[in-house]
Amino acid sequence: MTWLVMVITLSSFFSGCASTASAPPVASPPRASVAALDGIRRVVVVASGESQFSVEPGSREPGAEFESVMKWLPYKEILVPVARAVYWGITWLRDDARKSSTMPRDVTPAAVVTETFARTIVGVGPFDTIAALDREPVGDVRRNADAIVRVSVPSWGLVRVRDAGQPFAAAFADVRAQIVLRENGIVVWEYEEDVTSPGRLPVDSLMSDRALTREELVDVLERAGRRLASELLYALGRTR
Amino acid sequence: MIRRGLTIVACVVAVAAFTGCARRTIDVGYPEGASSPALLASVSARRVVVTAVGDRRADTSRIGLRPDDGKPIVSARPVTDVVRDALVLELGRNGHEIVRGRGDAIVAADIEDFSLDTVPAGGTTRFVGRVALALVLADGQTGERLLVRRYVGIRRRTAEADAKDAWREVMDTALTRAIHDLATDPDLVTALGRTAL
Repeated sequence: MTWLVMVITLSSFFSGCASTASAPPVASPPRASVAALDGIRRVVVVASGESQFSVEPGSREPGAEFESVMKWLPYKEILVPVARAVYWGITWLRDDARKSSTMPRDVTPAAVVTETFARTIVGVGPFDTIAALDREPVGDVRRNADAIVRVSVPSWGLVRVRDAGQPFAAAFADVRAQIVLRENGIVVWEYEEDVTSPGRLPVDSLMSDRALTREELVDVLERAGRRLASELLYALGRTR
Repeated sequence: MIRRGLTIVACVVAVAAFTGCARRTIDVGYPEGASSPALLASVSARRVVVTAVGDRRADTSRIGLRPDDGKPIVSARPVTDVVRDALVLELGRNGHEIVRGRGDAIVAADIEDFSLDTVPAGGTTRFVGRVALALVLADGQTGERLLVRRYVGIRRRTAEADAKDAWREVMDTALTRAIHDLATDPDLVTALGRTAL
């Protein structure tokens, strides 16, 4: 009997806790094909793609006060679902209004990331000339480029990052970069990253202060540009 | 007598098993596969002293709380060792020799953040891992401070609350991003190049 207890206990110990020690696969960073990038000196960095702005909504679940009121209602079977639906609708409208009032209209996310990326790479990477553009190059600009770096920001906005008594949020930008050889269209490097601002601010502060929100959003886009540059330089290895 | 002894042992093991499971241990580290020569390799090889890493976190007893029951998440190894190992690996991979005693350069680092936050996100859980390092590079011969920098790596990922690999992957990636920023920092490369051989 004792042995049985021991075996069961030990097996639960090893199957439960020991599983924490197993190493999960870690995605290796994208590696630039050095051979393919050899001789590339003139690069054009282009802002591309659409960007979806999002502000993570607050909880759409009614709180304890709502529940305490609901329990006194007559005809609960009918009225409670209706009240919940109304509550959800009002919350949805409020979140939608928040989103549209929070987004800085004068900021083009991919352009900010592109400019910062180009500025960071200049003089550090192996490229002689780097031009940042807000659209696909044409004419001589295209012909003179060895490679095109396409930078996109599929999504950006504010996201909740901590719940410590009150919710804290941070600016975020999900970014992608791709280097394509102009001559043959071959993709020689691709990278994407979830970039989050190091700052954690109370959600209410961010929602009520547009200037602060704009600053945080621009900061995270610049951080995204630097992060993309950093990972490209890392992938390139010894570059100077 | 033997039976009683075995019963006690079984009870001790059971208690250890249950208290061990109450907190979750993750083996965070800088994956070797994530490291390769970068800008730091453009400086000719230096003998570098990496001093013991300091820990400036307000709460050093844990790196986060489990999303399901609020119990602590802890690192299997001290986070100071995790960061020092990462610095040693990166500098070594970039061709520099890690030495004890006297070297050409001294790297001193403090951990300002090493945390895993969890936030409910519509039926799933958002994990946010952060690693913030304050680094000082000094000349090994004169002791002069050549550079003071802060590197912050953050990883954000949404997964099931009990996704066993998510917690570790988030922290590993945050650490990797901080180390990659360090290895591609042109100012750090310049400062390291200023140290006398």
